[in-house]
Amino acid sequence: MKIETTDPVSHPELISYCRCTINLKTGAQKIEHVPCKNLEDVLGGFGRSFQMLAELDIDTAYCEENPIIINTGLLTGSSAMTGLRTYFSSYSPIKGSKAGKPAAMWSAGSGKFGAKFKWAGLDEIILHGRADKPLYIEITEGSDGPLIQLKPAENLIGLSTHDKVMTLYKDYDNAHFAAIGQAGENWENNYAGSVALSTVNQLKTGEDKLRFAGRGGMGSMMGYKNVVALVAQSEDKLKPITEAVKNVHTQVIKGGGAARLQPIKRGGGGGTWAAYDVMQPFHAVPVNNYRPQGNDLPEKLFRENVEKEFDIQSAACFRCGITCHNYISEKNPDGSRGDFIAKFDYEPLNLLGTNIGIHDARQAGKLIYLCDNYGMDAISIGVTVSYALAYNERHPDKPLFNGAHFGDYEKIYELISGAGEGKLPGIGKGSMRLSEQTGETDYAYHIKGLELAAYLPETNPGYCWAIAGGHMSMGSYGTLIRDGKSDVDSWVDVITQDKLHIVGFDMIGLCKFFDITQGIGTQMVVDCLKSDFNLEIDPAAIKAAVRRSFLLGLALEFRQGYTKSEYCLPAEVYKDPNPNIKLPNVSSPEFMAELADKVWEVFEKELNGILPNCK
Amino acid sequence: MSKSNIDITVSLHGVLRINKFKLEQRTYPANTRVEKVIDELQIPVKLLGIIIINGVHANATDILNNGDTLMLLPLLEGG
Repeated sequence: MKIETTDPVSHPELISYCRCTINLKTGAQKIEHVPCKNLEDVLGGFGRSFQMLAELDIDTAYCEENPIIINTGLLTGSSAMTGLRTYFSSYSPIKGSKAGKPAAMWSAGSGKFGAKFKWAGLDEIILHGRADKPLYIEITEGSDGPLIQLKPAENLIGLSTHDKVMTLYKDYDNAHFAAIGQAGENWENNYAGSVALSTVNQLKTGEDKLRFAGRGGMGSMMGYKNVVALVAQSEDKLKPITEAVKNVHTQVIKGGGAARLQPIKRGGGGGTWAAYDVMQPFHAVPVNNYRPQGNDLPEKLFRENVEKEFDIQSAACFRCGITCHNYISEKNPDGSRGDFIAKFDYEPLNLLGTNIGIHDARQAGKLIYLCDNYGMDAISIGVTVSYALAYNERHPDKPLFNGAHFGDYEKIYELISGAGEGKLPGIGKGSMRLSEQTGETDYAYHIKGLELAAYLPETNPGYCWAIAGGHMSMGSYGTLIRDGKSDVDSWVDVITQDKLHIVGFDMIGLCKFFDITQGIGTQMVVDCLKSDFNLEIDPAAIKAAVRRSFLLGLALEFRQGYTKSEYCLPAEVYKDPNPNIKLPNVSSPEFMAELADKVWEVFEKELNGILPNCK
Repeated sequence: MSKSNIDITVSLHGVLRINKFKLEQRTYPANTRVEKVIDELQIPVKLLGIIIINGVHANATDILNNGDTLMLLPLLEGG
């Protein structure tokens, strides 16, 4: 970014970002410094990419006119803790309206690729068209700015995400990588391909410790375009951490959200995995396709039970003190750490474990490993598998696929590998399409075509208004369980005011755990922007930009054919209420109808005139 | 139990259980507030996220009654 002002609100045009536009068909590229139009452009991420997507008229995801926009946020690669995010935006192959049009979507991931991308001098790449042959994109640091080259990638085809990264790593030092797996290569039959981002831990140990931009099939879009990887090579350009930023980091680590994520030995809660312990007393941990049974089955994957048999290592991203995830390894007979099995985060563990009837940590770990290495979204694939298992439970005489049932590890393994290899489009294309084929849509746990995260819809009506996946673009998943809010008006406030601000993190380059309860319109973010860029900005201006971006996402959904009737929870929730959930009912038809009326009353008046004309 | 005391059941969850217990009957003076139990059990305040009395969300300042079940849970902040 070139910054020639201290006032990004009044003078965004004095801030420009470095963009490379590539026509994959011809190989032509253009690198330019683009002046920002508004604060959303300055902040970056989906705040910028959605403005571009809004100018396009796209009817199907897999078309040459649908670009992929790969960008960073203003604080990616900065001195701010968690400033590692890379964003992939496009019209999605998996999220789509009943009218058949694809939804605009973004997906975010950490790892060190984003920082290297930024340090190479680039803020954004837009990929137009489609390459004739597989290639990867090399981004290096030239004397006058970034250098971008398209390189043949035949040797990478058929490799897993991890193997692609490690193969490229042999040729590039001081670099980080983004790569798709076989799922993305099989884009025609798999709409849930993810993009893997290399980490310092991965390159150091040679183990598959990647991070992922998982949601929305951005890896499948990369596969469609025949771009299987990106390399960003640059010297590290970390600025010295000022006292102001040090103070912010102290607040991040000691703040309410991050404290729970700290390792247990540092007095924390032990990472995102700890959500199991909080939700199980209410029988709110998803079991067997989101149908908790009121028993203690989920406890088998509680940390206290897993650590009896396995080695658990708290892990963090590059220069991050939050330590949100855990590495699970075999435990040797002498108690030392054995072979690495998988990374345990709450969502993949639940959706490839308890929610498909797998209660064995090693088996769940192997399924996570499988999804990660094929490069698939653990949420979309896990939930589509759980749908198939629920269907088979209802139809034992005419089951789908291989007749797998809940807990049937071997057959579930076959389903996931089949999807990764493009041999099972029924799984690879997601639960919306599969349930429309079977005609049994009530228990397909997606909203607007995108599978739910591992929080029961009965606990989170806010899912309906999330614009890019349940828990990551509407932070209302704790409103019932954590805050005990069960009245309509509280939920209206949560959805229309407070919790939509979670999407701000997917603009600015920070992880949500930086300050998950407050969003980015805070003094902490203001202090980081002042320290790194000498920008003067009011938290309220940041909040306003985040709100505009969220509303643009909502408006784009309507542009792509969504109707209000699609902003609803899976029908099983109210047609067959689960009596085992020990929480107030915030998902009855009456509650949802009143909530929808009141939420739209707030949002609708702000949606008018928000969309530009299509090109 | 004397008339001036109350018996309650305390249920701890997640990391709050470490080196403590899962479920325990405890006796306190009448009019004891939840915060007194939290202090006595040395529950780390930064990890305590949810207080439930008899299945209903409650606050640290709420007064406990004889026969109450008090659940203390860690924070829930994203997955």
